[in-house]
Parts: sequence; C-alpha cells; structure tokens
Amino acid sequence: MRVLRYLIYLWNAKVFGPFLIRLNLWLNARREKGKSRWNQEILSPPLKISYRNKELVAMHWLEGRYANLGKKVVWITSGAPVELFKALDFFVLYPENHAAICGTARVAVDICSEAESAGYSRDICSYARTDFGSMLSGKTPVGKLPKPDLLVTCTNICQTVLSWYRVLAHHFDVPLIIIDTPFVYHRQAADHAIEYVVKQLEDAIPVAEKVAGKALEQSRLEEVARLSKQATELWMEIMKRNTHCPAPISVFDQFIQMAPIVEMRGDAITVDFYAAMLQEVDDRIARGIGAVVEERKRLLWDNLPIWYRLRYLAELLGQHGIAIVASTYTNAWGELAHLIDPSKGLRSMALSYTYAILNRGTGHKLETMTRMIHEFQLDGVILHSDRSCKPYSIGQMDQRDRLIREHNTPALLLEADHNDSRAYAEEQVANRLAAFIEMLE
Amino acid sequence: MRTYCSFLGLHQCATIIPMLDKTIPGRTINIPPRSEIIKSIKEGGDLIAGVFPIHYPRELLRAFGIHPIEIWGPPRVDPSAGVSHLQPYVCSIVRNALAFQQSSGLDIVDLLLVPHACDSLQGLGSVLLDFIQPQQPIIPFYLPRADGDVAKEYLIAELKTLYIQLKIITGKTPSDDELQDAIVKEERYDEKFSELYIAREELPLSTESFYKLVRSREYVPGEDFVNLSDGVLDQRTDAENSYTGIILSGIVPEPMDLFTAVEDFGGRVVADDLACCGRRRYSAGRSQDPFERMAERLLSGPPDWNRGNSIGQRLDYLVEMIDRKKAKGILFYTVKFCEPELFDTPILRKALQSKGVPSLILEFDINDPLTNQALTRIEAFMEMIA
Repeated sequence: MRVLRYLIYLWNAKVFGPFLIRLNLWLNARREKGKSRWNQEILSPPLKISYRNKELVAMHWLEGRYANLGKKVVWITSGAPVELFKALDFFVLYPENHAAICGTARVAVDICSEAESAGYSRDICSYARTDFGSMLSGKTPVGKLPKPDLLVTCTNICQTVLSWYRVLAHHFDVPLIIIDTPFVYHRQAADHAIEYVVKQLEDAIPVAEKVAGKALEQSRLEEVARLSKQATELWMEIMKRNTHCPAPISVFDQFIQMAPIVEMRGDAITVDFYAAMLQEVDDRIARGIGAVVEERKRLLWDNLPIWYRLRYLAELLGQHGIAIVASTYTNAWGELAHLIDPSKGLRSMALSYTYAILNRGTGHKLETMTRMIHEFQLDGVILHSDRSCKPYSIGQMDQRDRLIREHNTPALLLEADHNDSRAYAEEQVANRLAAFIEMLE
Repeated sequence: MRTYCSFLGLHQCATIIPMLDKTIPGRTINIPPRSEIIKSIKEGGDLIAGVFPIHYPRELLRAFGIHPIEIWGPPRVDPSAGVSHLQPYVCSIVRNALAFQQSSGLDIVDLLLVPHACDSLQGLGSVLLDFIQPQQPIIPFYLPRADGDVAKEYLIAELKTLYIQLKIITGKTPSDDELQDAIVKEERYDEKFSELYIAREELPLSTESFYKLVRSREYVPGEDFVNLSDGVLDQRTDAENSYTGIILSGIVPEPMDLFTAVEDFGGRVVADDLACCGRRRYSAGRSQDPFERMAERLLSGPPDWNRGNSIGQRLDYLVEMIDRKKAKGILFYTVKFCEPELFDTPILRKALQSKGVPSLILEFDINDPLTNQALTRIEAFMEMIA
C-alpha cells in the first residue's frame, strides 16, 4: 500500500503533472505571444525568466498536492531555518507564501471570510486568516494543500507566527517546533541569546528526525546550507544590480521573482534559477533596458507588498517615470548571506536567523533604509503601513519623520494591508501618491 | 524593610481608596493611591521603575532598592500624545502607555523596564530606545517562549544581564544572600496573592473591591500588600453562593465597573485568567542559586502565550478552573487589536462549548467606558447561563 501511494505521488508530482504544467505554460505562452497584461508602454516587458518562475512555483504546489502520499510534510514560517528540514527530505510548505498567492490571485478576502466565520477577528494578520480559511474550508488557488506532519515556527519575523502556529498545532494535532529568537534591541544580539537559539536548533533535530523517520546527515545539511547560501548571494547580486540607472528590474518584479528564494531555499534548482536571472538582468543592463521605460525618479519600498494591487501600483508610478528599485522586504532575503557558513553548522544558522531585519530594532531599519537610499541613489521612500504586520509597521512614523528631517528624503506613509483588500482604499492611495509624486518633481 | 504605607500613615490618612465591605458596617480597607506610594518611595530615597506588561522579576528590582510601578495603559488618558509614533491599529494599552510617557506621566520614574510580551510591546520598547529616547534608561527584558531547560538557562542568563544593567544604574551590587532575601520576600507576597484567590468566596468584598485589592500588587510594595491582604483575610465569613459564577479571561479588567455590571445581573467573577492578575500566580522557586530561583518563579504560573504554552494547555487550565469554581460560563474580555488573545479565543470558545460551557467575547478599548451595548450583551449572557 505504501509503495502504491509512493508510486501515485511519483507519477503525479514528478512525471505526468509536470508534463501537464509545461504543456499548459507552453500553450499560454503561445497564446500570449510574449505580451503582458502589464502596460508595456510604461513598463519593460516581463523578464524571460518569469516563465521559469511560473514553472517552478507550479511544480512546487503540484508536488504539495500529492506530498502526503510520498513525503513527510512540514509547514514552516518564512524566516525559519528551513535547511534542517530540507536536509531531512521534508516537503516544505510556507503558509505565508500560499497566502501571498491567494492575495495575488485576489481570492484572499473570500478565504479570510471563512476564518472570520469561524470566529477569527479581522484584527489578526491577514496571512494567518487566509491560512486558517484555507485550512477550514479547503479553498485554495493551488489545488489542494497537504496536511502537515510537523510544524515549525520561528519568532524572528513576529510573535504573530507563534500564535498562528499554536492554532495550527491544535487543529492538526501534530508536533510544533518553536525556534524562539530573542528580539535584538541593540546593535548586537547577546551571546546567551545566540546560545539559546543554537540549543533550540539542537533540540529540534531529534523531533524532526522522529517525524521524518530518518537521521540527519551532516554532509546533507552542509550541502543544503551551501545551496541556500549560493541562492541567497545570487538574489542579493540581482538586487544590487539596481544600483544601475535605469534600474533593470523593479521591486514589483522582485516581489514576483522572490518566490523561489522563500519557498525553495536550499534546492539546486533555485541556484540555477537565480544564476539565469542574474544573466538576464546583466543583459538588460548591457542593453540599457530599465524596468520603467522612462525612469526619472527612484524610490524605496518599505514593508510587505500590497499583493492584490501590484500591477496597479507599478503602472500608476510608472506612468510618472517612477521606478521603485529597492525594498527592505526583498533585501531581507539576501542581506544575511554573509552570515551563512555551511561549515559552522548550527551556530551560523542561529546567527543568520537571529539577525533578520524584523528581529532587530526600529533604528536598525532606519539605518538600513538610509544606507539603501545612498547605495541606490534614491529620491524618496514609500513606507507601507501594513495593518497586518505590526513588527514591520511600528516605528515607521518615526522612521518617516527622521528620513524627512535628518536625511532630507521625501517619505510617504501609505495605509493598507498586505492581503486584505478591505483595508485598502484605492482613492485615498491614489490621492496620497499623486501628492507625493508632485512633491518629488 | 520600611513599610511605606505605615510610614505615611496611609491606613488612617485621608488619601485613600475605600473598598466595599459588605458585611461589617463601618469597616473599610484603604489602599493608598499610586501617587502616595510614589511620593513615599521618593521621599525614602529609593528608585522607581515604570514596568510595562506582563512578566518581570520583581525581586531583582527590589534587591536593588527599586520599586516597580506597573503601567497597564493607564486607562482613560488622552491618547493623542502618542499618535505621532504609533499607528491606530496598535492596542490601547501600548498606545496609552506611550501617550502617558509623552505627556510627562512617567517623568517621575527612574527607569523603564519593557518586558517583551507581544509585537506591540516589542515595538514600544524599540521606539522608546531608538527614537524617543526619554531621560530614563530603558531596559528591555525577553521572556523565553521555548520550553524546558533551554528556556530556563536562557532566562538565567537574561536575569544576570539585567542584574548588570541595574548595577550600572544604581551603583549597588546586592550579594547572593541579599538576592535570596528579596526573592523569599517576594515569594511570600506571591503566596499572599494566591491566598486571596483561594479564599475569595469567603472574603467580605465585592468583586470590584477584590480586584482593586489584588491589582494593588501592581504598585503597592509587597510588604504593604501583605498587610492589606491580611486585613481582609482576617475577616473571612461563610462563603456566599447565591450568584452565578463566571470566569474572566483576557488581559486587564478595565473599566473596573465591569465587575459591578456582572454583579448587577446576578453574577460574580469567581476566578480569572487575566494577564495582570491570575496568570501571575507564580510558584516559589526551589533552587539555592538566586538567578535560577528567579527563573523558576517566572517560568511557573498558569499557561500563557507569553511563555509559549499551547492552546491545549490553556484550555485544560480553564476547564479545571471552571470545574473547581463551579462556574457557569466564561467571559473573554479582550483588548481590541490584542493579537495573541484573538488567536486563541475561537478554539477555546469552541472547545468549551463542546463541553457545555457557554462563553461570551467582548472587545474593548481601555479608554472607553462600559457601553450600553456591552451591558446588554453581559445581561443577555448572564440570563442565559443563570
């Protein structure tokens, strides 16, 4: 029976399913003939690598659909040390990524409503509500989500994920690993905080091994960490290319192309993907192609994207020659590459995951923003005040104030929510952006 | 150690908050107001720490001669002073705390201790440290969410770091014996706190008076808290049981006339799962090492998301409390925008319902009075469970 289940998994996830996905993508590409729904009079054509991104993401969720037949499944937070679980051959699912897909596909509100009907307040994170709604109703744009055998939450992005995964653990009745990373208020994390994280990682291994039914091999862990580091470095290189004027890719492109660095970190295909993307970006630079056709002003984006209005915002800004070329959010997936040292095992892992930007003080984020303003020659900053992400948003009012007063950089606070369009008022956003654009001129 | 209430003669003086005493005419229990406590501490030459919610080592502060005065909001302050720093979707406890600080309400304190409880308190600590930079030192304190020895080891190290920070601020270096002395005293005060809970049905106090007394632990020095408590415990009477008992769960019971409203509808809060009250019924530590003992104490206590406890643990605790207190229902009294509470309540309510325990959820903002809508809902709930 077990063998049969595994064969069904292989056939669907690795043979027939991928064939259908490729066929579907090929037919779509033929139909679209390289055209994009995004306004190409304002914005450059989509990256060619987008096709490969769609394929990777589709394959990932296809495998997820059948994963319970062939693999152990872990649901994990985006900031968690995924390498341990990759090395144990878990199928890794990121509920945050799934929620973002729901947001982009504009089905998040419908799915959130399922959670709200079950009693979850609209004042909790819209990613969590999307996840709960999907868990309770089965609604998802990716077909079907596999049930977790293990849950892993890491507090380095917020305390919300601790509350969120406690709910998941209760619902699914599976083990929950908590990796608690004490918040870094000052410039350096305390030694005992790093030691605490290391010990939790050590304690997590036997729990994960028991669920996986296999022992963790050191060589495999090092290999996954090496691949994770390579992909992260490549991602960072891609983002750094935006120091060129015009910027070859926009932050909206980054939001879309970041899916593999989040959900496939530690895989060889991810390294290949970003190596190819870097080549294409370099090619754009060589040919003088900018993400915005007539780039006149360059901005920084702070906080998560507004997933359901990416195209609207890209076009609205693009028609004024404004390119958003850097983001603290996409930067977060690359800036800690230097801390990953595959030969130094869990300590290196503890360091890189403790120093995530969301686990550091509001002053550190301001420093990051000011550094990026100089590095990318930026003209202003848009701070998305995200109702659903308090750790990212608290501090923004002071950050904006300092940017304006001390760094002479125009900055705008834009009220919205990353996944719940009910907390987004388009007219207000348009008015505020119009006033901000006028100020930039 | 000097008792400040006695020093100021507060048991007899005019600046008192009288507490209802339902059975013995003419007798009142007088809790000195915060301002008097602060004044007496200052006059005695000691320091005051303004402490934000929830868990922190009182005994360590006391060993340095620092008196903690807790800041749960405070309620009903003008929140406008903090609006230039915090978005409106941050809970009113944190917004009020910042507004209070911005309107000089905390100028009197010598240091601010910011325990890390949630994203909002984390943000408050960070904004204070990085941008507002008040005149007093800001000390963050992180309570571990992990379980077992690893959490205890971390907390011991965190307490040692706090010791060094307090040493720098005060210039004092309490010895292990002095630390143990402070620990034992605070454990005794904790025990008195728990004793009040155990004897609450026999106490000649209204529910509101009871909570005024237990919440005085937020600012009254422990030695005076014991005197106040003994004054009540000495007057035990036969338990009265002509009411419908309910459990109150949440963060903080503001406004306090909530209790009167429940009583007016024939009910009584017979136990609680409140962050400022019942969730801080710590057990005494056992170790002879002072830091280990402080860690043991802080990690004890009822299940709490702040310690990373599971929802199942919270549920078991509530069910046991309901059975023990023969409560008929639970009121989840939640501060708006308090994510950790809002995540837990749907599962808790559903599971309790399956066990035949009805519940009601009320959201509030600590600046608001008890609304007619809330009163109507409480009345309907009390009628339903009576």
